[in-house]
Amino acid sequence: MSVSPYKKSLSEKIFIRFIYLFFIVYGLVALFPFLNVIAKSLSSEGAVIAGLVTIYPIGFQTGTYQYVLSNPLFVNSFKVTIFITAVGTFLSLLMTVLAAYPLSKPDLVGRKPILLVYIFTMLFSGGLIPSYILMRELGLVNNIWVLILPGMISVFNMLIVKNFFEGLPEGLEESAKIDGASNITVLFRIALPLSKPVLATIGLFYAVALWNSYFGAMVYITDPSLKPLQLYLKELIASTKDTMLVAGEVDLSRDLNTTADSVQAAAIITATVPILIVYPFLQKYFVKGAFVGSVKG
Amino acid sequence: MVQANAATEPVMKTAKKNSKLVKVLKDWDLYFMLVPGLIFLLIFKYTPMYGLIIAFMDFNIFRGVAGSEWVGLKHFENLFINGQFVNVLTNTILISLYKLIFLFPAPIIVAILMNEILNMVFKRTVQSIIYLPHFISWVIISGLFINLLSLNGIVNSALGWLGLEKITFFMEQSMFRSILVFTDGWKEVGWGTIVYLAAITSIDPQQYEAATIDGANKFRQIWHITLPGMAPVIVLMLILRLGNVLEAGTEQILVMYNPVVYEVGDVIGTFVYRIGLGTGDYSFTTAVGLFESVVGFILIVTGNHICKKYLGRSIW
Repeated sequence: MSVSPYKKSLSEKIFIRFIYLFFIVYGLVALFPFLNVIAKSLSSEGAVIAGLVTIYPIGFQTGTYQYVLSNPLFVNSFKVTIFITAVGTFLSLLMTVLAAYPLSKPDLVGRKPILLVYIFTMLFSGGLIPSYILMRELGLVNNIWVLILPGMISVFNMLIVKNFFEGLPEGLEESAKIDGASNITVLFRIALPLSKPVLATIGLFYAVALWNSYFGAMVYITDPSLKPLQLYLKELIASTKDTMLVAGEVDLSRDLNTTADSVQAAAIITATVPILIVYPFLQKYFVKGAFVGSVKG
Repeated sequence: MVQANAATEPVMKTAKKNSKLVKVLKDWDLYFMLVPGLIFLLIFKYTPMYGLIIAFMDFNIFRGVAGSEWVGLKHFENLFINGQFVNVLTNTILISLYKLIFLFPAPIIVAILMNEILNMVFKRTVQSIIYLPHFISWVIISGLFINLLSLNGIVNSALGWLGLEKITFFMEQSMFRSILVFTDGWKEVGWGTIVYLAAITSIDPQQYEAATIDGANKFRQIWHITLPGMAPVIVLMLILRLGNVLEAGTEQILVMYNPVVYEVGDVIGTFVYRIGLGTGDYSFTTAVGLFESVVGFILIVTGNHICKKYLGRSIW
């Protein structure tokens, strides 16, 4: 007698086939915009103008990348972004850990109200205009720190770290404290080394958010030398968008804007490469589901 | 007895207070760690909330909050008289609703389908690919899709090869909202599956075994075991989503829209940015922002309350 009498019915077999097909199509749709823009950035002007480029370069060239990498505005905005990402991630991690550690102690006096003070900011905010007026008063308009300071603590990330700290074995900290260690020593010598996975996850999330942000810069920065990469790209895309969309048929501007088209493609790819480099690390951590289900306070 | 109680109570209270104080003093460095975070919240989160009072003033940036005149609810009364705001509110709700209808169920369905894939290499590969767009900024994504949909783009080339007319996608009012929904889906649906996949993993496999022995096929198992098993997470995600109903995707729209499609694409967030910072009408646009914040707050608190009452689960 067969132990497993269950056999897949025809409709189930078709269903499974359909699922594989579905994900192949989905994967292609997810990748196609990247492949197309990579191919365009490496193709000759003629092929791009004629709209012939699909997912492989036609008339291979790398002049667009040389142009992008030698453009002082692009290079400067790249530097600005590297600065805010590096400094911002470090400060965010430090602030987040300092906030999360005491709040992970169940017998902390005032723990509940303080948590509420944090969580309330997730539910309600002053909005754009009052923030803008505040930044003006603080002298943060056209100041690079405006891209770092207002976002230092993500409450969501703080709660994840807090939950992680709560799960650490108590005994280790207790014994250290009996030996006379202060709370700060315990945090930096014992708790943090045990928290590397969650710190890596949160750090990467802060870094990606800082790398990708443009809105704050658009509101608070007008000085071209302080513009981060995403804002520079936004303006580049906006300047070519109008000509590409409206005047695509006009012969005169055609030559010009299609060149811009390839250059823009190269700029987009160059700005995305760092994300692609950290992506495997990101994936390694988020697959562990470090943050799933940790919304509860 | 009663007297004794009354006499000891204050003593016990002060004793309790003292022990609290002793605790705080003993762990003073623990409390000291709280300070930077609280200062951060005070400056960057709570001060702007205080700044919301300018919604009740005719705020003049040169005279400041102290020198500006109170006007009561004038700006709120103007909200619904202002035809532009009514249009913006309509756009916001419509775009949000379209996104809710098409993009809320999508990751649930994709997660259920993904769960049926047994080939782990295929599954991992697909996951790596469909999670990726989540980490790409809206600026880059607008660049990618403008590149695809412009007149020289591959989509219009394909239309040309098929003998169809070219379309200026980003300039068509009838297309703009669809583009918003599609690109938002392209970015977030894959990533959105993670939380549902986790929910599916937590379902007891014995349930499936029992159902198989009882002769239930795949479809019935999905309907009677997988979906009910995911239900609490689905409700939770729905409430979180509802709280954001007036945030229709400001950062997305700001990089994709243009004056031709303002009529269908301008939402509260973009309106506040453009009118508030562009024309300096700070008080009116703060009123618009306050309206958005209050509605969002009410929705999420009510949703959480309902969730607590009927499902015994709470977001916070």
